[in-house]
Amino acid sequence: MSATGWFTLLPLFILGGASIAVMIAVAIRRSHALAVGLTLIGLALAFASLWVVAPETPRQVTALLIVDSYALFYMGLVIASTFAIVLLSHAYFERHEGNPEELYVLLLVAALGSAVLVASSNFISFFLGLEILSIALYALNAYLHTRRFPLEAGIKYLILAASSAAFLLFGMALIYAELGTMDFARIREMLTASPGASQVILLAGSALIITGFGFKLALVPFHLWTPDIYQGAPAPVAAFVATVSKGAMFALLLRYFYWSGSHHFGAVFLVFTVIAIASMVAGNILAMMQSNVKRVLAYSSIAHMGYVLVAFQAGGRLAVEAVTFYLVAYFITTIGAFGVVTMLSNSEREADEIADYRGLFWRRPVLASVFTAMLLSLAGIPVTAGFVAKFYVIDAGASSAIWLLVFVLIVSSVFGLYYYLRIVVAMYSGLHEEAAAPSSSLLPALSAGGGFVLAVLTILLVWVGVYPATLLQIIHSTVGRAL
Amino acid sequence: MDAVWPIGLYFVLVVLLIGAMLVGSYVLGQRHDDRATGSPYEGGIVSEGSARVRFSARYYLIAMFFVVFDLEAVFIFSWAVAAKEVGWPGYWEIVIFIGVLVATLAYLWRLGALDWSGEPRRRREGKAMPQKL
Amino acid sequence: MYHLLWLIPALPFAGAFVLIVFGPRMADAAVKIIGPGTIALSAILSILMMGQFLTAPPPDHVYVENLWSWMNVAGFHPHVSLYLDALSMLMTLVVCFVAFLIHWYSTEFMEGDEGYSRFFAYMNLFVASMLILLLGANLLLLFLGWEGVGLCSYLLIGFWYTDPVNGRAARKAFIVTRVGDTAFIIGLFLLFTHLGTLNIQELMRRAVQEWPVGSLLPVAAGFLLLGGAVGKSAQLPLQTWLPDAMAGPTPTSALIHAATMVTAGVYLIARTHVLFTLAPAAMLAVAIVGAATLILAGFSALTQEDIKRILAYSTISQIGYMFLALGVGAWSAAIFHFMSHAFFKALLFLGAGIVINACHHEHSIFRMGGLRKQLPVTFWTFLIAGCALAGLPVITAGFYSKGLIIFDTEASAHGSMTLWVLAVVGVLLTSLYTFRMIFVAFFGDAKTAVGHKPRSAMKIPCIVLAVLSICGGFVETPRFLGDSHFFTGFLHSALPGVVLGTNPAMAELASELWVTLAFVVGLVVAYFLYIRNRSAVEALARPAVSRALHSFWHSDWAMDWLYDCVFVRPVMWFARVDKSDFVDSFYDGVAYLSESFYRGLRTTENGRIRWYAAGIVAGSLIFVAIVLFL
Repeated sequence: MSATGWFTLLPLFILGGASIAVMIAVAIRRSHALAVGLTLIGLALAFASLWVVAPETPRQVTALLIVDSYALFYMGLVIASTFAIVLLSHAYFERHEGNPEELYVLLLVAALGSAVLVASSNFISFFLGLEILSIALYALNAYLHTRRFPLEAGIKYLILAASSAAFLLFGMALIYAELGTMDFARIREMLTASPGASQVILLAGSALIITGFGFKLALVPFHLWTPDIYQGAPAPVAAFVATVSKGAMFALLLRYFYWSGSHHFGAVFLVFTVIAIASMVAGNILAMMQSNVKRVLAYSSIAHMGYVLVAFQAGGRLAVEAVTFYLVAYFITTIGAFGVVTMLSNSEREADEIADYRGLFWRRPVLASVFTAMLLSLAGIPVTAGFVAKFYVIDAGASSAIWLLVFVLIVSSVFGLYYYLRIVVAMYSGLHEEAAAPSSSLLPALSAGGGFVLAVLTILLVWVGVYPATLLQIIHSTVGRAL
Repeated sequence: MDAVWPIGLYFVLVVLLIGAMLVGSYVLGQRHDDRATGSPYEGGIVSEGSARVRFSARYYLIAMFFVVFDLEAVFIFSWAVAAKEVGWPGYWEIVIFIGVLVATLAYLWRLGALDWSGEPRRRREGKAMPQKL
Repeated sequence: MYHLLWLIPALPFAGAFVLIVFGPRMADAAVKIIGPGTIALSAILSILMMGQFLTAPPPDHVYVENLWSWMNVAGFHPHVSLYLDALSMLMTLVVCFVAFLIHWYSTEFMEGDEGYSRFFAYMNLFVASMLILLLGANLLLLFLGWEGVGLCSYLLIGFWYTDPVNGRAARKAFIVTRVGDTAFIIGLFLLFTHLGTLNIQELMRRAVQEWPVGSLLPVAAGFLLLGGAVGKSAQLPLQTWLPDAMAGPTPTSALIHAATMVTAGVYLIARTHVLFTLAPAAMLAVAIVGAATLILAGFSALTQEDIKRILAYSTISQIGYMFLALGVGAWSAAIFHFMSHAFFKALLFLGAGIVINACHHEHSIFRMGGLRKQLPVTFWTFLIAGCALAGLPVITAGFYSKGLIIFDTEASAHGSMTLWVLAVVGVLLTSLYTFRMIFVAFFGDAKTAVGHKPRSAMKIPCIVLAVLSICGGFVETPRFLGDSHFFTGFLHSALPGVVLGTNPAMAELASELWVTLAFVVGLVVAYFLYIRNRSAVEALARPAVSRALHSFWHSDWAMDWLYDCVFVRPVMWFARVDKSDFVDSFYDGVAYLSESFYRGLRTTENGRIRWYAAGIVAGSLIFVAIVLFL
């Protein structure tokens, strides 16, 4: 517990400090711009601190947290995504009445929780990070509490997250009861050291922990909340739920199951196979005839988490890299898609019906093109990040010969193509006469920050799609090295 | 398995007992459907108005603050008990903890959330209530 | 210098991107700068690079720039890399330069059109695709450019999409070339599966090592690549799309005919010439396709009255010469003709554009006439280009390039006397239809008042091209006329010289004299028929036989009718009959099934929180059961 050990937690300290700073700033002077500015500065500092910390890694700090290059990579992903979402939120809430400032405090806290998750090496920090993240999300979902849907989303998320957390805790308790340790790496040692431990209790514990993961990652059958929450939550918050919260959870899933060795249980493997297949199939089929864009994105995120699970099932170093690559591509694309929804929403309602997008290209060609790029990437069309990502996932799956999963992935992707293209077709249909359609009231002015985010994301999308080598290199030298 | 069977038996008995109570009252009990059957006080007092009265949100606020700060006090006590053992790192941790609490308190105070009597300050200044709380 | 190579295709591409994204909101003046400006930069770069290539060539006369590799999976690792040798250098230079002149011309030609920025976006994309096609080091990249060119030709031919006729012409171009593309892509698969690489140079090396001359595989690959080339270059039997492609704006036609699109096939065969030398049968097929096309298209050109269709058939015929040259192994002669053709054909189209504009969008040459006096600059430049096309001896570029091809046709080891005769007849036809067009349109009495007169942006490119149509030929002259072999010498590092037969039947001089004779005969006949004695034409056209021949040739040897009968109608008939077969019901079944799945699953999303919580509980129970009991 030396001084440098604490020093490696610098990014977490900065995130926590920033949330307090923003809170005090709100108390002193209520100003949207000030709150956003402070938040962005805090995030930028936290991001920069990753490089300051990097030479000291890997280092176990207390029994709870490990700061290694894996954790740092995912922290970077979390912080960068939060940065983009803060800019989008600024665009979104600038158009709303009421006080938007506390939103940034909550976003920072949620980012802190995610950062704790990706660095945790112990059940205690796992649960702490999860709760820091969840409690911030309850409030974030219901932030527009005068409206019906956000409030409903907040309450639903609160109750369901709490009940799933109960399952998770019970699972942890079972494993602790049997092995007497909460440390991931120790669990593996104990498993090999004490073969007499009751398999029944360990397996039941693992299954219940999967429930906890499954809820946060919206995997079938724990997915039922997803569309309601996505639809109800403000678009930037939905983007956060879809990306940062899931990404951090997946990073932890990898670490827990690979470190603890639970992944090698045949039964656990079987459960994940069932979950992955069910998620890919149900997610894609549920999205097919959906008329609400945010719900479509919700279902598609269910399917995408199923795809990532295929890579996870493959196991090994290639799998870790494929998962990470996929998550990065998924982050870029999903934030971009929700960004477009954000940009089009006005103070009355969100632009979440497909009808709102009819003929968008003729009114907002650039925005429609960005959305098209994002949807094509989600569908996995070449020259986008989504294609390369899916390619690596399939490659990982094929190299481990999990053919059933790969087969389901490919077939269900075809279904996916249908509903993404439905939105794309809507955007390009209906020539100029649609330009004067009633939905043209959904044409708020583009904000500079939001436009910047979308431009950067689009460039990243194509860059990763055409020239994935840089990203692969980064992933290889950080994530690939750590696990 | 031997040690578990009393629990299992207990479980079965609980289920049976409750089931017997429910079924018994269903079978034996009288049934009637009069005018006042559905009303809260069947005894005769006719209820008036809705039971869903709006309480001022400040009741809950105060309750929440109490729980929150009370819980924080528990942490501080537990530190105080082990202050010697945890040493300087523990000291700094509790300083940060209390610092955060103070900042929160300042924030709440400033928002007018502790303004128990009369109108909140914000409203007097012609501004909307803070969104949260 | 060479490391800037990537900029040459990147600049037009960037221009296209900017125009697509921001074009609709840009002022026309800005579009004028970005569209032609990016091409101009590419042209300047390619000129500078050409200078360096001449003075300080890269080692082995080859420069390869590996930009990046797209992915690396299971032995399949396509590098995105550019390959610059004498062949691609020369073609790049010509394409950039001619494309720039056409762009410059278009700034005035398209003025006032509501799709101004869209036009330049497509044109830039067109040029960028062509440059990728030329510079791509592997067949995958080449194919990317190939398809890009196809796409842009579709967009540009159907540029004025509100008229359904144009849309149909665009579709026809796309579908007909697609037939060739299919053959091409099968050829790619064949090469990749048997030789295990798509890098063109590596492919050629391995082909030479592994395949004996004349064996089945190179012949098959050669024929498949020829199929692709025939589609893109509008050669027999897939030439029918090109005359209809005249529906696009005239600068588009100039670009398609001179610099991009149709020369892609020529380039493909020249690029893979090693493969063709391994497949004598495929080479013979190339020569026969070329010779047949040049004759058939020549006859068709004779009967057209639409000035642009005449030019279209002349392009088909001239590309036929290039194929002929490729077929007899005279690789550099084909590229030489490509260069001179690029200059004079671009000029002819630009001139035709001016004429059509001046005559109030009149396309028929018989309703023009007498334009010589009203449009002097256009007349003189058009005349120069026409002379180059027909091959006016000694001074024009067309004479030298065509003469070289015709001589090689006979003198090459792969050549023959029959092909030579056909080629000389082709010269006669070319001269005849060219001067028919010029005499009818520019001489005689004025039939339409000249409306729009060209300004400098349309005239200067014409003058530049006119100069090039003359000077462009002096880089390669026969022995008795200066004996300059600069051009073939330059290309020698990329394309081997022609292998001459053991005992040529005639000297170069004799061949050239025959060409000259054919040219003069054509000119004189045209002069008598269309200037001195118009009634002779009518007398000639009166008999039933010649009327039938006329309509037969006019409809391009009834090719469209034939395809309509053989392919389109039977397929349409079959599609009608087979509208609801059991294969369809399979797909309907899939759709129905997934829809009912959707309806079933949707009931789980009922918005009730207790149901959701129950879902979590049920899921946990199921998984606990699975791990415990399975």
